[in-house]
Amino acid sequence: MTLLAPGFLYGSLAIGAAIMTLHFLVTRQPRSSFLPTARFVPDTRATTIAPASRPSDLSVMLLRVLMVVAAGLALARPIVQPSRRPQARVVLVDVSRSVGDTLSLRDSARTNYRDGDALVLFDSAARVIGGNAGDTLGKITPSGSRGSLSAALISALRAASTVRDRADSLELVIVSPFGREEFDAATDSIRSLWPGRARLVTVGARRLDTMASAVGELAINADSDDPLAIAVALARPSVKSKAIIDRAPLRAAAQDSVPTGQSHTASIAGGAFVDWPSRSRPRGAVRRAVADTVGGVIAEDRGVIAPFERHWSFPTDSLRGADVIARWVDGEPAAIERPADAGCLRSVAIPVASVGDLAIRRDFVRFVAAMSRPCARATALVPADANDVARLAGRSGLAPRGPFQSPGDRQSSLAPWLLGLAILAAISELFVRRRARNNTALNGEAALSGEARAA
Amino acid sequence: MAGGGDESTGSSRLTDGGQLYDEYAALLDAVRGIRWPARSVVRGGIPGAHTSRLWGSSAEFSEYRPYRQGDDLRRIDWKLFARSDRAYIRLSNDRSILPTMIVLDASASMAFPVASNGKWRLAAQVGVGLAAVARNGGDPVGLALAGGKEAELLAPRMRRSVIHEIIRAVGTTRPAGNSALAPSISLAAQSVGRLVIVSDFLGDAAEILTVASRLVAAGREVHAIHVIAGEEIDPPHDAAMVADPESPALRRALIAATRDAYVAAYGAWRERIAHDFADAGVAYSVAIVGEETAEHLVRRLTVARGLSVLA
Repeated sequence: MTLLAPGFLYGSLAIGAAIMTLHFLVTRQPRSSFLPTARFVPDTRATTIAPASRPSDLSVMLLRVLMVVAAGLALARPIVQPSRRPQARVVLVDVSRSVGDTLSLRDSARTNYRDGDALVLFDSAARVIGGNAGDTLGKITPSGSRGSLSAALISALRAASTVRDRADSLELVIVSPFGREEFDAATDSIRSLWPGRARLVTVGARRLDTMASAVGELAINADSDDPLAIAVALARPSVKSKAIIDRAPLRAAAQDSVPTGQSHTASIAGGAFVDWPSRSRPRGAVRRAVADTVGGVIAEDRGVIAPFERHWSFPTDSLRGADVIARWVDGEPAAIERPADAGCLRSVAIPVASVGDLAIRRDFVRFVAAMSRPCARATALVPADANDVARLAGRSGLAPRGPFQSPGDRQSSLAPWLLGLAILAAISELFVRRRARNNTALNGEAALSGEARAA
Repeated sequence: MAGGGDESTGSSRLTDGGQLYDEYAALLDAVRGIRWPARSVVRGGIPGAHTSRLWGSSAEFSEYRPYRQGDDLRRIDWKLFARSDRAYIRLSNDRSILPTMIVLDASASMAFPVASNGKWRLAAQVGVGLAAVARNGGDPVGLALAGGKEAELLAPRMRRSVIHEIIRAVGTTRPAGNSALAPSISLAAQSVGRLVIVSDFLGDAAEILTVASRLVAAGREVHAIHVIAGEEIDPPHDAAMVADPESPALRRALIAATRDAYVAAYGAWRERIAHDFADAGVAYSVAIVGEETAEHLVRRLTVARGLSVLA
């Protein structure tokens, strides 16, 4: 049995000891005797406190100690520990778009998962699977989101806290194709929090989808004097995939849904539909309360340094299930990509000024080409760097259970019973104390009566 | 003087009482021969040992008075008539008995100290001793046990066995209860000339004083014997919760901080009691347990204090 908050028990034991000590300190009146002239003695109180060899009111003392200790034990939240086995696993299963072989993924997950282990499924977010994880393993399918090993490792640390009491050591198993896009700058530092090695199980990665990667040219739906049309014309030679840039304002009926018509045809063909309105609201964006100016924007490694007047921003809800493909220099999303049918839908909130040379600048042309690149799932997964994978695997042994903290929200099934016992002892103490007091009064009268009879 | 009283007080005569009377045997022997004259002339009546207010024809000559018409011719002193040729009546002080009632306080406060019952034993011995002295002087003696649970009254008698009866009544009484003493005193004082109250006066002292004052005003001789235990004057220095045996609910802490105040308060009360009784014409005496023997107390209490003539 383990106490989740042993301090309460120690405190209650200290209080119980104090109660016992007080019961050994009895308040005594001087001996009683008769004096016919007692009426001439001034009326004052006279009591003395003296240690006793036996506790006063033994039953009351026992009930009080029981009440305090039971309450303290209940607050200490005792839990009965299950029997520990030598090793438990925390299995991280990648269900992001990086996975190309679903069957292999399921088999690997089933092979490494045992009853009592912790299962974490992750893509851009990670979730710990509770209950009957075996059924879940047979149904897992990759999502369209990018995988994040950082999120998975954080969930692994949390899941380890739940299984630490069931095993002496913990093993981290990661089932993933380990693509480059799944690593980020925080992955190494988060990985270092796991005090042991990780076993990496590589599954089939996403491959080039010939059906989805439609070959075509970059098109734009814009006015002839639209500066972006010039940039598109300059970028068109470097774009081999099919993409349509739509500069038309968003119709009210379309809202943020999948586009139709020409754009829809492009999506089905595996191309990218780029919603880049000239002045109106991009899909998923909302108008900023106050328009401001930002000095640049970057997509992948292609940046553009120029003053941009920002009118739109992407709220948090719009980023769910989407990838940020361009950011302002202050980190705020400037363009997002969302899977749509066979292709994808990109929403770009970057204004293109009609005045100036921005449209013909080489960096902006490259930026437009980046915005017109093939959809993410239509491209082959780029494997992660070998050094990154090696650091992810680590070299030390299995992680001991000690460094992982027990979860603070564990429930103690004994606590309610102990609290009930404390309440019962408190109620009993009331009655026993009252009876003891009556007995004391009767004994005092009996002593004087005995003295009177002797007289 | 009424003679022949001594034979009733001899301890050898009280063999039928067993141990009950052995306790008083030495005392009765010791007080034999003590006389207890009245503090004032007594009313006339049955001839006795005390000077009566009446002029009588006893052998104790007092004076002559010229014969007046109506005097008894037998009281003329004929020898003086022969010498002086004048008729004189020979006068002499008359002697009378003085019925005496002993009132013993048998309340619970008299059973103190608890271990020895000292106050009650002293009160009983003083009462028996005074009764024996009075009986030896030819006076009728009675006993009233009052203040306790049950009052007992023995009317004044001159018979031999009255001391025997008093001893038996005292010996079978255990002090208890807290009844008022004053009503019993009023009852006992009827048709007696001398009243002896033996008490600690811790009950209805004010009422007793009122009754005693009225009796003194009526020409009775009242003695108040204040029985005190040494522990009451100088209680033990050990701290104790003391309770009044007549009202156990009254509990006080007799500790070092309160002891001096107690001694002072009790002393002041005793002085006030003595002063009040003296002012009322009561012969007040203090009997402290352990300081005087009963015999000595009886001798001290029966000392003649001068004869006064009551109007």
